[in-house]
Amino acid sequence: MAEPLPADARRAAESIGKADIVIGIPSYNNGRTIGHVVQAANAGLSKYFPQLTGVVINSDGGSTDNTREAVLSASLDEGHLMLLSTPIAPAHRLSVPYHGIPGKGSAFRLVFQMAALLEAKACAVVDSDLRSITPEWIDLLLRPILSADFDFVAPYYHRHKYDGTITNSIVYPLTRSLYGMRVRQPIGGEFGVSARLVARYLERDDWETDVARYGIDIWMTTIAIAEGFRVCQSFLGAKLHDAKDPSSDLSAMLQQVVGSVFLLMNEYEAVWRERNGSQPVALYGFRYDVGLDPIDVNVECMVNAFCRGCQDLGEVWSTALQQETYSQLQELASAACAGAQEFRMEDDLWARVILDFACAFKKHPLLSRQLVQSLTPLYLGRAASFVQQTRSLGSVRVEEDIEKLCLTFEALKPYLLNQWINEPPPAMEASRMPPVPERAEQAKLEV
Amino acid sequence: MVGTLQKVLESMLDRLYKYVTIYLPSLLAAVILFLGAYLMAVVARWVLYRIFKGPAIDKFLRQSGLAFMIDPSGRLRATRIVAETVYWCFILCGFLLGLSVFDTDITTQIIQSLVFLMPKLVMAGLILLGGAWLGHYLGRSMLVWAVNESIPGARRLSVLVRVVVMFVAVVVAADQLDFARSVFLAAFIILVGGGVLTASLAIGLNGAGLRRFLQGQNEQPTEDSHERSLWNHL
Repeated sequence: MAEPLPADARRAAESIGKADIVIGIPSYNNGRTIGHVVQAANAGLSKYFPQLTGVVINSDGGSTDNTREAVLSASLDEGHLMLLSTPIAPAHRLSVPYHGIPGKGSAFRLVFQMAALLEAKACAVVDSDLRSITPEWIDLLLRPILSADFDFVAPYYHRHKYDGTITNSIVYPLTRSLYGMRVRQPIGGEFGVSARLVARYLERDDWETDVARYGIDIWMTTIAIAEGFRVCQSFLGAKLHDAKDPSSDLSAMLQQVVGSVFLLMNEYEAVWRERNGSQPVALYGFRYDVGLDPIDVNVECMVNAFCRGCQDLGEVWSTALQQETYSQLQELASAACAGAQEFRMEDDLWARVILDFACAFKKHPLLSRQLVQSLTPLYLGRAASFVQQTRSLGSVRVEEDIEKLCLTFEALKPYLLNQWINEPPPAMEASRMPPVPERAEQAKLEV
Repeated sequence: MVGTLQKVLESMLDRLYKYVTIYLPSLLAAVILFLGAYLMAVVARWVLYRIFKGPAIDKFLRQSGLAFMIDPSGRLRATRIVAETVYWCFILCGFLLGLSVFDTDITTQIIQSLVFLMPKLVMAGLILLGGAWLGHYLGRSMLVWAVNESIPGARRLSVLVRVVVMFVAVVVAADQLDFARSVFLAAFIILVGGGVLTASLAIGLNGAGLRRFLQGQNEQPTEDSHERSLWNHL
């Protein structure tokens, strides 16, 4: 625990003494929605855990709106909840500003530090911009830990087919193929964590990296899976949340999330190299269908971004991609830039792009940041292709397509291993060198 | 007339004979020393190519991107760098030893200048190499950023960054070598001054407005529009 707990947070925790459950809500200018989230958390504690003491902690990143006031003033008439038993004590509510690098990860760190100090048995974290959270979410995130001895509860939602494209196209397939567990929303944002796992998170010394920002979700999930903690999922219904800040930087977000996945690949190499295929993860909660907010997507803009990337970023991509992958991308770009009606980036090509970048990330640590940032146009190209392919499909068919992509990633694991271990030359090198048939052929054969 | 001509020729031949008797042994000794150094250089290079591996240096060269920058084929290895460095060190030593045999004021001066210049040359070379690497790195970062932000002329911006960084490195290296200091310094001040003026104007004229204006010229849809449409990527 390198970063000390801020004095006001420590005082607040000491005044409470001990608690069984901690619910953390990170925030930054979420005054509009956080009141509802706090109410749902309080109601969840009162309704489902009346015999346990709970604390709701808002870890705030210096909001300039009324976020903290909204947390402290959020009230709930428990008479409307029809509680079966009276809670032994009302849940405590705290709003504490966190210190350090601004970001969701730093906010979580403060929540975990307080949970450890309060000796909480379980801790749940939920986003502050949720519109669809209900008291049941608290039960679903915490019950598997308190009653079934799980260490990590990942969320499972119904989402619009175009919602969570980084999850669907990169993080879920890659995490699943690497670590062999089908955690459908590895960067969902809502998690339940046991005291044991909280202690493990706090032991680590990489909190000052991208983990402090958007990398936190995949970091938590990967550690839980790779280090053998007991993992399950809970069905939470729909995830509806406030629109994100339109000025948020996609490439920075992508770099933090994907960079964290690649960084953890280095750390847990020994784990993922031994795992093949994937297995389902226990899913709790009653599944039902829900209506979802429509999402409007401008495919043309995304294809333009892809073409622009292909025109200008060749020198960066060619240091990361294998010759064959790079050639296929160039062909695709030529067709797209010439105004081809259908733009389609096949699963196999996309999977090889991601795996090539993962290997390049390991091979060129000094260039890793710009390599991952250069993925943005490729990601937009893939997203555009996905949208075009699934425009007329229902959610079940879309889920089948995502499953196919995951299977492609799993099938390409030998390709990844071959590159990871043998480090064959990337496109830039290969194009200037005499052909090296053994390795290239070997890679093809293994695939 | 013939007698005078004969005298001139005889005195010239005498002088030539004197020079030959004075300098020929030294020249022969110098050639022998240089050839010896050359042979040692060839042998040392041959041996180093076979016994020296230097995987740690190879790893550094590859990871830092220096290998690709110096030799775009990516085949630059520590073995080659060390072997070639040792080879040229031997050649240089042989040359200096050969010169020292003549033991004249001018050769002594040349040797002294070269010996004193050598550390500065090495330092200047390292500065240029560092500048090239930094320029390459920052240029690529600029390229990636500009493409992601849909800034027009991303490649030109990247080249500009590389040129500016390399120019700064050249100024520092020239300063290190005491070579045309004032010329490079004046050029550097003009460049930096121009850059600051441009930046001030850009800020004054509102950079975002300028960007919108530039993008409007191209009449292309901006990244913001899909950013708004594809709300949640995570």
